[in-house]
Amino acid sequence: MTYFPEEVVERIFDFLATHRDRNAVSTVCKTWYRVERLSRRSVFVGNCYAVRPERVVARYPRLRSLTVKGKPHFADFNLVPHDWGGFALPWIEAAARGCPGLEELRLKRMIVFDESLELLARSFPNFKVLVLISCEGFSTDGLAAIATYCRVLRELDLQENEMEDRGPQWLSCFPDSCTSLVSLNFACLKGEVNAVSLERLVARCPNLRTLRLNRAVSVDTLSKILARAPHLVDLGTGSFTIDHRAEAYHKLINNFIKCKSLRSLSGFWDATPRCLPAVYPICGNLTGLNLSYAPAIQGADLIKLIRQCSKLQRLWVLDCIGDKGLAVVANTCKELQELRVFPSDVYGEGIAAVTEEGLVAVSSGCPKLISLLYFCHQMTNAALITVAKNCPQFTRFRLCILDPGKPDPVTNQPLDEGFGAIVQSCKDLRRLSLSGHLTDQVFLYIGMYAERLEMLSIAFAGDSDKGMVYVLNGCKNLRKLEIRDSPFGDAALLEDVGKYETMRSLWMSSCDVTLGGCKTLAAKMPRLNVEVINEMDESDELEENPSDLHRVEKMYVYRTVAGPRNDAPDFVWTL
Amino acid sequence: MELELGLALPNNHLMKGLDLNDGSTTNSYRKRGFEEAFEEVIPKATLPLFVHKNGGDGDDENDSPQLKNSPELNSISGNRALVGWPPVKHPRRRSAGGGAEERWSEHCGSNSDDGGGGRRAKCVKVKMEGVAIGRKVDLSLHDSYEELFHTLNQMFPNMQHGFAGFAHHPHHHRRRFMVTYEDGEGDWLLVGDMPWEDFIRSVKRLKILS
Repeated sequence: MTYFPEEVVERIFDFLATHRDRNAVSTVCKTWYRVERLSRRSVFVGNCYAVRPERVVARYPRLRSLTVKGKPHFADFNLVPHDWGGFALPWIEAAARGCPGLEELRLKRMIVFDESLELLARSFPNFKVLVLISCEGFSTDGLAAIATYCRVLRELDLQENEMEDRGPQWLSCFPDSCTSLVSLNFACLKGEVNAVSLERLVARCPNLRTLRLNRAVSVDTLSKILARAPHLVDLGTGSFTIDHRAEAYHKLINNFIKCKSLRSLSGFWDATPRCLPAVYPICGNLTGLNLSYAPAIQGADLIKLIRQCSKLQRLWVLDCIGDKGLAVVANTCKELQELRVFPSDVYGEGIAAVTEEGLVAVSSGCPKLISLLYFCHQMTNAALITVAKNCPQFTRFRLCILDPGKPDPVTNQPLDEGFGAIVQSCKDLRRLSLSGHLTDQVFLYIGMYAERLEMLSIAFAGDSDKGMVYVLNGCKNLRKLEIRDSPFGDAALLEDVGKYETMRSLWMSSCDVTLGGCKTLAAKMPRLNVEVINEMDESDELEENPSDLHRVEKMYVYRTVAGPRNDAPDFVWTL
Repeated sequence: MELELGLALPNNHLMKGLDLNDGSTTNSYRKRGFEEAFEEVIPKATLPLFVHKNGGDGDDENDSPQLKNSPELNSISGNRALVGWPPVKHPRRRSAGGGAEERWSEHCGSNSDDGGGGRRAKCVKVKMEGVAIGRKVDLSLHDSYEELFHTLNQMFPNMQHGFAGFAHHPHHHRRRFMVTYEDGEGDWLLVGDMPWEDFIRSVKRLKILS
């Protein structure tokens, strides 16, 4: 292939769709490396500390799309201190210097300051897409900068961010000349927005297909927006409270009827059952429905709604749907691919809402189900074995039994056999989260059968180091392993230190790993960052120099070519 | 300032100016000196940390193994102070129905920005002998010693031989641990000797000894 002109090689590389393939060809020879790097348009950095931003930018000067992830996944559940790290600024600065053609930036679990957003807005004349997921550190002032300076902005997608509200004026910063918006999602914003600005913005963006409003947007405004944008495909309603007898309600129904392209609905904050009929006209077209923020819609009303959604592919609900409701889903939603059932009563003191029955029903009724997140009060081995038989095509299986360490309530046995059946049957399983009472046996099964597994989440499980070792030895494709409150210690950690260089990261908290074990790992593997996170207060009588025998509360290990990071706060020790 | 503490849902009281050195407790229990307290062996800890539900009203009834399998201990209510459990994202906890917001224990985390109204956590540090890193537990989320011990068991799984299923293996080898606390006057006492309300009022921090 070396006698092909480079332009031809570049054309051939254009056909490589995945990052993995492009990464692979770049290692073949110097020529291919050069061709690949100069034609690379999109880079994904799974761990912002695995590589320095300057290096990425230097290697890929023609970058158009950059995705970077920061904090480890358990940060979603407050297990990682807020100021642990994951700053977006170095990435934006490096890109501003090295890739002025940048058009898209996607950040997840990173700290983004308003100054960073302002720099972003001013540095890239062609900037089109900004997606921030589970980020924090910025306010509506930063959004104002984006709105003001990004002339050709197509997508502003804010998902579940912690952002400070400094007033509604940011939305008015979109100039009248801005007509390019295709997707706008500010559902996580807590404050008000200016309704008139919003309506005018929607009216002048003919290509708008995704619009997710926040809770502060009234139904009245929603109605007006629908009238202006009947071509919407994905809608997040604001607060969905309205007097169902009022004229406004009838207007709303009429406007919904006009939205023939609507395929996905979410929002529904404060929705009461009486308002639901407003969406009945379009239910038959829906492929996505998210009712997980509407605790007031339960039982019969939920069922009535779902019965009309026969084309549903993605459904997110609260567990007040009940096993009965899930049976209706099983009967109605034959196209269902993804189901998420969230706990409505997070501490489980209410009525047990969904059990293993609901899951079994869905597994038998929905032949296309491949992705599951299920919070429930109990699960049995028999049910899991049935589910495994019914749905061998699962790629993501996350089960959370709310009471940690709870066994099969019928047999009082651990759930090893049930999860074992899942991994044995679901050959394409890429992501798995375990819960309930589990011994080392389940990990033996996982090591044996879960060949494609890439991400595993473990909590309150296992008996001994053997459990973790089974997983490390068996799962060849493991990329992310996160463990909390399980009895795995130094022996397991150090069993196969080379393994961690084949993975993105390992998180262990409240396990039996000691400081000495972490130090040993760090000494043996210089290309890993071994971080120990110590949230001690100064007032603690102290363990200024804790002995190596002391257990480490939180440890985060990741492979890196960037060396120890220089922005770690005091309480993070890189060994 | 006199502290008003009750066992109602945390939202109902504000703990301004928490002053644990306010020695105006009216309890009549007898405080023990440190050595005196910890020389004795805990009587037959089938359940090293469990005390009868009524707390120490002076009458330490015999612990029965049944306590381990009691519905209260297996119930989720004891998990209220477990950080990050269940694994649900922040915004979802806020909008989940009912009292989820109040009971959430993020106040014990390092940087809690939760502006959720008026609830004041009573977080005390918990250190376990031999463990460098301390934890924090929000006492305001507990109503009894049982619930507290349940939480501690989950925070320090070393206290059992393997955490998972501790409540389901009554014959597991158990090590003996003592939970002690420092009160407002700097004395170290055994947890469980006095009524729960008095305990909450005076406790400053906890220490688990083996």
